[in-house]
Amino acid sequence: MPFSTIATPQARPVANYKMATRMESGRLLYISGQVAWDASGAIIGKGDARAQARQVLQNMRGVLQAAGGDLGNLMKITTYITKIEDRPAVAEARNEVFPGELPASTLIVVKSLFHPDFLVEIEGIAVV
Amino acid sequence: MDRREVLAERPVERGRGFMPGISATPARVLFTAGLTGRGSDGKLVTGGMGPQTQRTFERLQAILGHAGARFDDVVKQVVYVTDYDAYNTVGRAARAKFFGDSRPASTGLVVRRLAEPDILVEVELVVDLAGSPQGEPLLEKYDVENHGGEFRQGVIVNGGRLVYLAGQVANEPDGAVSRPGDWRRQAEKVYENIGHVLRAAGASPASVVKETTWVLSIDAWRQHRGPVRRAFYDGDYPASTLVEIPGLANPDFLVEIEVIAAVA
Repeated sequence: MPFSTIATPQARPVANYKMATRMESGRLLYISGQVAWDASGAIIGKGDARAQARQVLQNMRGVLQAAGGDLGNLMKITTYITKIEDRPAVAEARNEVFPGELPASTLIVVKSLFHPDFLVEIEGIAVV
Repeated sequence: MDRREVLAERPVERGRGFMPGISATPARVLFTAGLTGRGSDGKLVTGGMGPQTQRTFERLQAILGHAGARFDDVVKQVVYVTDYDAYNTVGRAARAKFFGDSRPASTGLVVRRLAEPDILVEVELVVDLAGSPQGEPLLEKYDVENHGGEFRQGVIVNGGRLVYLAGQVANEPDGAVSRPGDWRRQAEKVYENIGHVLRAAGASPASVVKETTWVLSIDAWRQHRGPVRRAFYDGDYPASTLVEIPGLANPDFLVEIEVIAAVA
């Protein structure tokens, strides 16, 4: 891989994500915060955080594939949710597409996203 | 410099001023601190979202200018607002004057509070700089204003390998949360964990390029962060952003800090 995974027994992740990643070669790709709309702008999964997270990850995969990569190229993701209660549903959707370990990861509960119907937004940094 | 748009904007993104993704070879990269609408006297400009957004981007322009960059070179922006309707009504238009037709990758968030209660918008940028890596120093940290804060307004990475840390929280190696409710102890523990991860990556506190600090209370954080950050950075501060949000992954976490570092 064009990036390496950093781990230390002195500070461990609190869930199934990488503690840090270091870019080694390639191009850096910054991916906008992805939300649960389809190509036409319709919101997928209104009121359903799991369905939204799946759409978000599908959109993210689309950006990665356009750059010649896939979800495995992600070094870091930040997940923004609007309600802490949605965390398990979002985690489930993420685990479906990251079978082992997530990239280096941050999860933040924000007041809201840029549309009242958005429940989850994920941005990413990848190397391609 | 070879900033590249990786995917045509989709119909839903048209007119919103950003692209789904931007790639670049990280030969020289500039990270800015989160900037707000403070005037040259350090006080927030009057007039609300429009003037604040205008002033925020004027200040970012000066930081870009110091590095020989323009808004066309921006790879990523994060826009933090406390009032989305005001941003949508007047902030977007103020921003658009600076970017013109150029569109970075972008994330927009509505947060609970920024550095001061009256601040409505804060913006940070990642910028692809022209030229080849200039060797030493690996990091060029600078200010374009006398702001008096314990951070730098811009940090240029000259050809290093970037290290992205997961958001660090106050957990012990066994996973337990360090002292729920104790701001000072959590501050110490978070920076201790950051130090461990940096060392494992071949980096150090001086290698930190950018930090984003997410807290449940800016007022409480400010009472405790000073000595802990001073001991950690020893005067060699990164660019930084401080944001108050309603929650983190675990209700016992008071603070979470994300760090980007660089090693040769």
